[in-house]
Amino acid sequence: MSLYEGAVKKPVMTSLCFVAVAILGLFSLQKLPIDLYPDVEMNVVMVMTAYPGASAADIETNITRPLENALNAVSDLKHLTSESKENMSLITLEFEYGNDIDVLTNDVRDKLDMVKSDLPDDSENPIIFKFSSDMIPIIILSVQANESMPALYKILDDAVATPLARINGVGTVSISGAPEREVQVYVDPNKLEAYNLTVEGISAIIGAENMNVPGGTFDIGSDTYTLRVEGEFSDPRQMNDIVVGTFNGQTIYLRDVAVVNDSVEERAQEAYNNGEQGATIVIQKQTGANSVQISDAVKAALPRLQRNLPKDVKLDVIVDTSDNIHNTINGLAETVIYAMLFVTLVVFVFLGRWRATLIIAITIPISLIASFIYLFLTDSSINIISLSALSVAIGMVVDDAIVVLENVTNHIERGSEPRQAAVHGTNEVAISVIASTLTLICVFFPLTLVEGMTGVLFKELGWMVTIIMTMSIICALTLTPMLCSKLLRLQKKRSKSFIRFYGPIEKALNALDKGYGALLQWAVGHRKTVITACAAFFIASLFLTQFIGSEFMPSQDNSRIGITLETPIGTRTEISRELAMKLYHRWQEKFPEMEKVSFTVGQASTDNTFASLSDNGSYIVTYNIRLCDPNKRKRTLQEICDLLREDLALFPEIKKAEVKLGGGMAMMGGQATLDYEIYGYDFATSDTLANKLVEILSNIKGCSEVHISRNDYQPEYQVDFDREKLALYGLNLSTAAMYLRNRINGSVASKYREDGDEYDIKVMYAPQFRTSIADIENILIYNNQGNAVRVRDVGTVVERFAPPTIERKDRSRVNTVSAVISGVAMSEVVEKAAVEINKIEMPSGFNIELSGTYEDQQDSFNDLSILLVLIILLVYIVMAAQFESLKYPFLIMFSIPFAFSGVFIALSISGNTLNMMSMIGIIMLIGIVVKNGIVLIDYISLNRERGMSIRRAVVHGGESRLRPVLMTTLTTILGMVPMAISHSEGAEMWRPMAVSVIGGLTISTILTLILIPVLYSSVAGSEVKSNRKKFHKKLHRKAQLKALGIK
Amino acid sequence: MKSIFITFDQAYFNRIIEVLNKNNCRGFSYFEQVQGRGSHTGTPHYGSHAWPSMCSAIITIVPDDKVKPILAQLHEMDEETQQLGLRAFVWNIEDSI
Repeated sequence: MSLYEGAVKKPVMTSLCFVAVAILGLFSLQKLPIDLYPDVEMNVVMVMTAYPGASAADIETNITRPLENALNAVSDLKHLTSESKENMSLITLEFEYGNDIDVLTNDVRDKLDMVKSDLPDDSENPIIFKFSSDMIPIIILSVQANESMPALYKILDDAVATPLARINGVGTVSISGAPEREVQVYVDPNKLEAYNLTVEGISAIIGAENMNVPGGTFDIGSDTYTLRVEGEFSDPRQMNDIVVGTFNGQTIYLRDVAVVNDSVEERAQEAYNNGEQGATIVIQKQTGANSVQISDAVKAALPRLQRNLPKDVKLDVIVDTSDNIHNTINGLAETVIYAMLFVTLVVFVFLGRWRATLIIAITIPISLIASFIYLFLTDSSINIISLSALSVAIGMVVDDAIVVLENVTNHIERGSEPRQAAVHGTNEVAISVIASTLTLICVFFPLTLVEGMTGVLFKELGWMVTIIMTMSIICALTLTPMLCSKLLRLQKKRSKSFIRFYGPIEKALNALDKGYGALLQWAVGHRKTVITACAAFFIASLFLTQFIGSEFMPSQDNSRIGITLETPIGTRTEISRELAMKLYHRWQEKFPEMEKVSFTVGQASTDNTFASLSDNGSYIVTYNIRLCDPNKRKRTLQEICDLLREDLALFPEIKKAEVKLGGGMAMMGGQATLDYEIYGYDFATSDTLANKLVEILSNIKGCSEVHISRNDYQPEYQVDFDREKLALYGLNLSTAAMYLRNRINGSVASKYREDGDEYDIKVMYAPQFRTSIADIENILIYNNQGNAVRVRDVGTVVERFAPPTIERKDRSRVNTVSAVISGVAMSEVVEKAAVEINKIEMPSGFNIELSGTYEDQQDSFNDLSILLVLIILLVYIVMAAQFESLKYPFLIMFSIPFAFSGVFIALSISGNTLNMMSMIGIIMLIGIVVKNGIVLIDYISLNRERGMSIRRAVVHGGESRLRPVLMTTLTTILGMVPMAISHSEGAEMWRPMAVSVIGGLTISTILTLILIPVLYSSVAGSEVKSNRKKFHKKLHRKAQLKALGIK
Repeated sequence: MKSIFITFDQAYFNRIIEVLNKNNCRGFSYFEQVQGRGSHTGTPHYGSHAWPSMCSAIITIVPDDKVKPILAQLHEMDEETQQLGLRAFVWNIEDSI
């Protein structure tokens, strides 16, 4: 008993099987998390090694190079980059995709163990860091405060950060902008000197006084008591009365030499939200947690938290990644529903039967729902890729069912009972249905084999469509015949109203059939004209490629902008803040689209992980801007960013400005950058080269924000101690340096405890005593004998420029010049720049290489080209197997070039670029357009087997296959239309794909319908002729042999 | 005793068995896959790519008086749906065990 016979005979079992699949699918759907992209496998490991006190150059020679040499032997390494800066070496290992990162990490650990003994003794153990996308904050909250500002940190820590951190899945909650409380003891160096006291001494005394000491237990009578001394300060003011020494028999209290200041830390990052000072709270998720769920939970908790806060403290959301995810996914879900409606409508128009339409339409949800089970089993999520896979598949899942249904209907019309018709009708077309679906699977299955960044996008798409298509074929061979046997009846009479409604449609379709038949008749008669015209069309369309730009990923409008400004190095926080405020007010007027603007300025404290990971310093201002939704504004994100860049160029005090589309936190879809890497050892030469490159790139249209990665040489004061003099006074360098540090940076004497929180007690020079070089020169250094000597007596204070951070890539020094490309195609800029770069005289030992998005783009396009060839071969194999011929599948392949023409035309008209998404579209097209050819050639050769002449077979075959071809094509095209015209958030991502499929499919279908029959008649004609010739030759030879009398 | 040889499009099978049952003919032999084409009209039944449909055949041995009503009913069925194709032929049975 065949599959379909079984299905028809056991309708209960069949339908319940599909109900079960649907229930499982819906159950999975309910459990599926929502995310923007599928999980990305991380391929980066960082190795951090600290070597306190070493300069960048020392770090490079002693730490970075030995480590690099060892780590270079780790397998599957793609790039090895490093940064050597003061005290720290940071090596980043980037691996090829598709490897188990845990195994690689172990490899790295082994290599580090091997080389550890070669590192300097004072260096700390190398730490291995696995980079992950979880470091990207999911929500950033802004806090506005007035009176509560000084205590803001504690208020936020207790009332906001701690409760938020308790939410399931929240990783870290960090507060920036709110300075932390600190108890400062500002000493007066003159008084200290007068009383023979030192900062160290005072520090030690404070530490010794601020103590709780348990004194053990003792017995009194029948009870045991514990003995304790509670000496900890309960109020910072108590410190004033500490005795710090005696002088001439007089007791000296702390209040005599210092001021105790219960305040906030001196240097802190400040945060401003919409012009008001406040703080920002950054929330990161735990590894593997679901962003949308967390951010929903956080937002739900906010009103409750707000109630516990003082009146003047207001919480607000600046950045919410889930917003974008929600909007994007909703937009895509909407297009899926529209696609479903369109497809159903097309089926109804062509079939003209309600029941038939219902049978076809039912396969759509069932096939789609089945794919949710796959998503659930692989721990994936509802994301852009899985949803676009659904949208792509909708138009194709109905094809198989349509073919089966059409044949069953034929049988019924010939007089079979529906039950018998369903079994035999399905049996007849089963093989060709499987073959045509197999060609589609041939296209999508290889996508699952792609690795790397493109693999992330393609793997899920490939699996989804493969599974959906497999499900659709199971549906077509079981559910569809079963439903046909139950629902289809021989239609004897149509109702009047139905005829009135459907009559005109039927007439139009019949006219179309006839017109197409006449056209084919003409085309078959003018084969040369048709073939030449088509070839000319294809070649002409190739010229359009000049007008189509290429990029890696379409940039997405998520209404967020991130800006990092740098004023000259060493600018004071106050001045940077003033500039930031000025810009804020300016933009408020110029860009009404800006809904929320927040910025941070100043040095971040080291215990704030998020802030210290990103660039910070007194001269750096970081903006976070949220625009209103894309459909509520006229200017696009890109336009606004370009205007901002122009605006920033007007301020000469800004040394470096970076405007990042999408806030710079989006993994993909950010703006493309072009990176030129200058390899070479000598700093000065590479700086000159870099400056030349900057000049070249700045002159090319479309390049903006041209930056050199090597930071400016930082000015600083250094104290050069004279070792001999130090030795003379019985001192050494580290003791002397310690004295300097304790007076300027301060020494932490102890912790002040209050309400379960600890605050630093810091002893240092009062601010007015550390404002000049003279102050530093006057610092007293005491030796072991208690004799003092001034800094100026043992050393000199000089201003110097410290060596910058030393960056290396693949084991040689590198300096990167990067530029943001906007408005023009990256390939164009690369070409123009290449001409100029070739003119530069390259110093020996130096070379310039391209990397950045361009490198990724080249890698991915190469991968895709190989994939394209592989797919074409596979499709050919399937077709050749089905037709049992090598010639006809080759003919069908001729529809592929016209699909490309269509893509070029559609892309150039709509102004979209050739990018990853349009490449996906092109790859899909191969499977889809070939399907049309298969249907045509299959039926034409069937007609010939039935004894028709070539020309009649071609014309008749074309005429009768026009409707199925048009129907399957229209379902696919209309399935894509909602994607192509959608304006919801994130629509930029998949629009190029939909546009290229629509364009390619339209053009190729129109031409396929004419060209393929024409080619067929030429090839088949010459085949017949050569056969005839061979036969005549044979006859001729026989006659000759007979004449010669040989048998 | 006469034998009736019925060849028909596969879709007829259930209806033909019904006819035999109605006429109390219990015994028959059934060939599921039979290829063939009609002498004058009708599409060939080859089970091939060009002609995908197939015939079946049934031989049944019935008492002489049953032949007429069976043939009449089969003919009626054929008239109803001519495109499917149904033919029946009658032989004499000489002997049997």
